[in-house]
Amino acid sequence: MNHFEHSRRQFIQTCGGGAAALYLGGCATSGPVVSDQPRTAEDFAIEGVNRARWPELADVAIGRMRRVRADYGDIRLIESRVQRVVARDRRIDDLSDSIDAGYGIRVLLHGAWGFAAGSVFSADGIRETTDHAIKVAKASATLMQKGVRLANEPVHRASVVTPFTIDPFTVPLDEKCALLIDTSERLHERKGIAQSRGFLWAQRDLKYFASTEGSAIDFNLLATGGGFGATAVGDDGFESRHFQLPYLRMGYEQVEAADFAGQAPFVADQAVEKLLAKTPAPGQYDLVLDPEHLALTIHETCGHPSELDRALGYEANFAGTSFLTPDKLGRLRYGSEHVSLVADNTQARGLASTGFDDDGVACQRWPIVDQGKFAGYSTSREVATRIGEPRSRGSCRADSWASVPIVRIANVGLEPGGKTLEGLIADVRNGILIGGMGSFSIDQRRYNFQFGGDCFWEIKNGRRGAMLKNVIYQGITPQFWAACDGVADRDHRRQYGFITCGKGQPMQSGWMTHAASHARFRDASVIHAGVGGAI
Amino acid sequence: MSIDLTSREKFDRIASFILDMSTADDVLVRFEDGHSATLRFANNEVIQNVSVRRARVTVEVSVGRRTGRAVANQLTRAALSHAVLQAEAMARLAPDDPEFMQTLGPQRYDDFPTHSPATANAKPMHAAQRVASVIEHCLSHDANGAGVLTNEEHVTGLVSSNDLYAFSRSTSAEFSLTAAIDDGSGWVMAKHRDINSLDHIGRAKTAVEKAARSRSPKRIPAGRYTVILEPAAVAGLVGPLVYSLGARSYHKGTNALSGKLSSAVIDPRLTLRSHPSNGKLLGEPFAQDGLPHRDGDWISKGVLTRLHFDRRTALEHDAMATARPGAIVLDFHGPAAGSVDDLVRETEKGILVTNFWYIRDVNPSNLTITGMTRDGTFLIENGRVVGALHNFRFHESPLHAFNCVTAATAPMESVTLERDKMLLPAMKIEEFNLSSVTEF
Repeated sequence: MNHFEHSRRQFIQTCGGGAAALYLGGCATSGPVVSDQPRTAEDFAIEGVNRARWPELADVAIGRMRRVRADYGDIRLIESRVQRVVARDRRIDDLSDSIDAGYGIRVLLHGAWGFAAGSVFSADGIRETTDHAIKVAKASATLMQKGVRLANEPVHRASVVTPFTIDPFTVPLDEKCALLIDTSERLHERKGIAQSRGFLWAQRDLKYFASTEGSAIDFNLLATGGGFGATAVGDDGFESRHFQLPYLRMGYEQVEAADFAGQAPFVADQAVEKLLAKTPAPGQYDLVLDPEHLALTIHETCGHPSELDRALGYEANFAGTSFLTPDKLGRLRYGSEHVSLVADNTQARGLASTGFDDDGVACQRWPIVDQGKFAGYSTSREVATRIGEPRSRGSCRADSWASVPIVRIANVGLEPGGKTLEGLIADVRNGILIGGMGSFSIDQRRYNFQFGGDCFWEIKNGRRGAMLKNVIYQGITPQFWAACDGVADRDHRRQYGFITCGKGQPMQSGWMTHAASHARFRDASVIHAGVGGAI
Repeated sequence: MSIDLTSREKFDRIASFILDMSTADDVLVRFEDGHSATLRFANNEVIQNVSVRRARVTVEVSVGRRTGRAVANQLTRAALSHAVLQAEAMARLAPDDPEFMQTLGPQRYDDFPTHSPATANAKPMHAAQRVASVIEHCLSHDANGAGVLTNEEHVTGLVSSNDLYAFSRSTSAEFSLTAAIDDGSGWVMAKHRDINSLDHIGRAKTAVEKAARSRSPKRIPAGRYTVILEPAAVAGLVGPLVYSLGARSYHKGTNALSGKLSSAVIDPRLTLRSHPSNGKLLGEPFAQDGLPHRDGDWISKGVLTRLHFDRRTALEHDAMATARPGAIVLDFHGPAAGSVDDLVRETEKGILVTNFWYIRDVNPSNLTITGMTRDGTFLIENGRVVGALHNFRFHESPLHAFNCVTAATAPMESVTLERDKMLLPAMKIEEFNLSSVTEF
């Protein structure tokens, strides 16, 4: 997961948005203010996003690709709607509702890819964009060594809908604003809190996928998320604490169940408590990590290195490669026998659980690490054939109509063990319990990592003690997972997800969920990162 | 798929349609339209070749002290009308904002060139031809090349009911290459308005040479070393410093620079400033919110002289609001070394760093950051590069490192994956904390 600042690029690549489209409203117009030229019909597109016509428009693209005898082609027509409510310091800082609609057309011609995206929903617009994609593929074909071959996939005709109880877009905005302002007020009630932030987020994607092979899949996908945090300022600096509502494929019911009002006093208290907390001496500690924290650890140290495109060098110029090279598949000991990491894109509520990926491949469940042994990759139809796998794992996704599908981390989760949190702590003489996500950084092959957290407590002789701060641990991926000697049971399991996993050029924001129960890691290196410490 | 972007006249008419239609007290229209083409290659062949046309209209309206914002991307009357109605409905449901600000009024913008026709008009086959020569160079040196060539053209327009008006048309082009030979890798990256100024062949040669020199890296222990940071690596340290210039967090006390205005924060030979009109940078005349980008110092000869005030914080502190710091230049006032090679020649023992990667905050209260070296880390002995090294993790703060500078070059182009383009010197820094080593 990366965050970058290229502002222009971000606009071009990552607008979000999409919903109930209006079609050809007849709005009265009056004289222009800025320009005195007469307004002409050409200023406005005539045809809007009419979803009833999508299969027909898709046929226009598919027909043109078949005519040039493309090896393969597909089109995704998408309308996305994103709503964000952001509160800061007792007030609403941002209220936005975005609709973003368009289509991406991908063509494989003579073993080379072309992709073009546009947003004019007319047969002419589709034709022009398809022809441009074909022109781009012809340019690519001049630069191929081996060429692309796709793994086989059955033809699918299906419809996918995210189950939900409450549609977040039907919840009145004033109710959402009131919830966040009330949460903020409760945070600021605590003396010492200087800053607060809260947000609610929802996205709906309506998508139609069609391929030259005959697949036609209709999607109605929903996701929600939110959270809040507070920063306390004291004589010696400032500290923050956060509450995260996971990004999941479900409705507003998760906001209603989360009880922001009830959580806020604890978050505020802990931010203030953290100001006075001790920084542990650098050294070796046993760590007990909570599910929210592990979601990030799993993402960075297991999710990314098990993307096959990275292992094959596709991301060498940007996100990086992987220490899990194909020669290690089925051979490398990645962790202890307690460590089974399973990719599950069929998991309920998981962000990558979309029924089918953007290659039109059915979502699946498969092992990444099986009882400590490296067992599998996340793949696409393109990269699966490069290592002789007969079928894609179906983990190839694009972040919008304007982006090309790429291999993405699946919903990779840590399989539950048989312990309880108390049991994990009871066997620790000198350790630290870490909750939530903090600073993170990892090398481009995913060996040398470093993680912080949101909250920390010392563990002394089997008991949880006082709060700590400035805890940063560092390790080498296979050594760290080899030191895992216990995982809590299924009752402790929670899902946390990401919608900002940066990968690809132009960069795309990937979505996936990582479920885990608490787990224990022996003898980890905690380094000094406090004021005057590291520097 | 037309790549003729929206003209100023058409933007004017779309904006006036929205202003006319809205019944809100205050309206701001932001319009963006862009085309970008990206050819991406790896293992010396194309893995992705994309061409995207994308527009977006943001309508922000206020009713009394309440604000709502809707975004549309369909340029139909229906979609634009829907956005106006949606924004107004949101504004009516929003609570009164105690920090409410009216939309910005008219501004004066500096006029400088931001557009290159060669970049705007580059076709897929032109890009393929450029990349072909890069791949040929890699193949002829047994190097495995992965990289990207991008050209983009954008239009941005802003209009408010308060008579703000801004319109710009700009281009950018980017080339980067990571070349691998055996276990060695080398990296280059360039960004420019004009696709013909990327020097892709010259840079490809540099990446391949670095890859060859990076082979068989030795592992030396972590520790504090004298380092020579190329301008791309210096960007990793400058970024957090630039982010700390915000007045809002400064005055709340949640900023490492809090309380240090008019104090020395870095070496007195260093000046950090914005220079949007500099032709080597990718500055814009105005920011997203319509505030002008202007030339000016932030840190002058080591002393923090100016903060970035957003409009609200400026009002509270009776200061002038400015656009976020962009188009950054870091000047070195001492006797400048001519090149990175000159810095190497004057170094008895040290480590040369091409680039840092995955840079993150560790301790925001003293700006400690961490990250990894990447694609070219070398050992220097007696004024010469004597071999490649395993990559290191570092822990440093610019507030520490920029007080340990012993030599530097004049500012050079610094383009990285994690920051906007800047002009930065290569620097020799003592006691740099390389805190651990990785496996390659």
